[in-house]
Amino acid sequence: MEASRSDESNLSPNRDRRSNPNPVHNSIISSAQVWPTIDGPLGLTEEASVDYARRFYKFGFALLPWLWAVNCFYFWPVLRHSRAFPQIRNYVVRSAIGFSVFTALLSAWALTFSIGGEELFGPVWDKLVMYNVADRLGLAGLA
Amino acid sequence: MDRTQRPRSVLDSLGEELIGILTPVSICMFTVVLLVCLLNSDPSSSASFSSIATAAYSETDSDSPWDKLLGAFLNSLVFVAAITVATFLLVLLFYLRCVRFLKLYMGFSAFVVLANLGGEISVLLIDRFRLPVDSVTFSILLFNFSVVGVLAVFMSRFSILITQGYLVVIGVLVAYFFTMLPEWTTWVLLVALALYDLAAVLLPVGPLRLLVEMAISRDEDIPALVYEARPVIRDDSRLVQRRVWRDRRSSQNDDDLENNEVVNVVVRAEEEEQRSEISVPLIERSRPESSETFLEGIGLGSSGAIKLGLGDFIFYSVLVGRAAMYDLMTVYACYLAIIAGLGVTLMLLSVYQKALPALPVSIMLGVVFYFLARLFLEVFVVQCSSNLVMF
Repeated sequence: MEASRSDESNLSPNRDRRSNPNPVHNSIISSAQVWPTIDGPLGLTEEASVDYARRFYKFGFALLPWLWAVNCFYFWPVLRHSRAFPQIRNYVVRSAIGFSVFTALLSAWALTFSIGGEELFGPVWDKLVMYNVADRLGLAGLA
Repeated sequence: MDRTQRPRSVLDSLGEELIGILTPVSICMFTVVLLVCLLNSDPSSSASFSSIATAAYSETDSDSPWDKLLGAFLNSLVFVAAITVATFLLVLLFYLRCVRFLKLYMGFSAFVVLANLGGEISVLLIDRFRLPVDSVTFSILLFNFSVVGVLAVFMSRFSILITQGYLVVIGVLVAYFFTMLPEWTTWVLLVALALYDLAAVLLPVGPLRLLVEMAISRDEDIPALVYEARPVIRDDSRLVQRRVWRDRRSSQNDDDLENNEVVNVVVRAEEEEQRSEISVPLIERSRPESSETFLEGIGLGSSGAIKLGLGDFIFYSVLVGRAAMYDLMTVYACYLAIIAGLGVTLMLLSVYQKALPALPVSIMLGVVFYFLARLFLEVFVVQCSSNLVMF
């Protein structure tokens, strides 16, 4: 991760956007605490991150659990260090919860569908399964 | 870390940058080869794929080689002409400062590629493996995938890894569809595009050169799909003193490359923390709706990282995918040729310090090695193997 190298680069000296004025000088920990995103110094500053985290969280409600997952991935340092970035953490934790709930529901349905098969659903299974739907709608028209 | 004990040599940072650009190219090529091998469609089905690249002539099995060659030339001519027109249109729009329209168009194109082509390839895969996926789950997953992909390429500040991943995925999807062109057309088209690229970037009247010069003079970013490797941060200040072409903070060069057009633009910008990865609309005539512009070219990004246009990814993968349709031996030969060509192009980039076309060297080497492998190497290797001399 670039975060551990950023300390010695020329990018960070004028940035004092530390949410946590922690006097620990360990390069790995202090640089990880400074930057809220997983990209480290190449990512967002803290103020912009709050905005991003909030927007990702709100957009995720439009049936976009993957956006919630991306939110958690992008702000992974926020989840790892539970003391820093309280505002961002709020949204990221809620995104994580939303993603887990949605995934649980979706995989329950998908697994029931694929394992249950025809015995459970009857003729409806054939109507719902993707390759038949594709054939009916002519979607797999290339091969 | 022993960074403080041993200063990083030029070789370390140079190697890291090279790896940063070679890895996604290799992943793209590998994925396309995998898709080609898995969804091994028989040659007769390629007739159903109609695009602008087959507008002049559709190859059938019964034509003589001369007819096929002629038809392939006509197809390539039409394609390159379409790309030229599209790039000049892009130059015009950029000149008239319709940047917002271009960005929206790019986002829309990325969405159509990811949803439409991604959906089609997924359906082909599901069909091939008879996976019991239901349509509800499938549509939710596809919707998620495409929307997040559009956000990734559209928004300028997004996770680097995810943006890079989505750009590679877009390259894979478009390249797979291009491999479904008829065989002769593909090869002639690749050569024609390599020549076009050379002309468009290096000639003073070339559209890509005009685009790049306008972007430099205005200090703006060209909205385009460009893959930018993660910038390598070094301990010394060498990164700041890179030769740059623009002496500004915001130098993002995104080029739009039309699907039909290979635009190789090398863009260099000076170091800054902004990454420029704007998606460019793709123009795809195979599907009646979207058009997208891919950008091709190699250069240095704003943070000193290497940038490679998405069109380069696509056409390298098309070459390797088409080689995969013959045999894996040609795949190995073409892969090595393309990587060698990319290395040569990167060396030229460091020598000349300006926008360079990334297609010509690699495509020429790839095509030459494909035919050499197919005509000469295969016979040799098969004879050796069957007589248990090698392998």
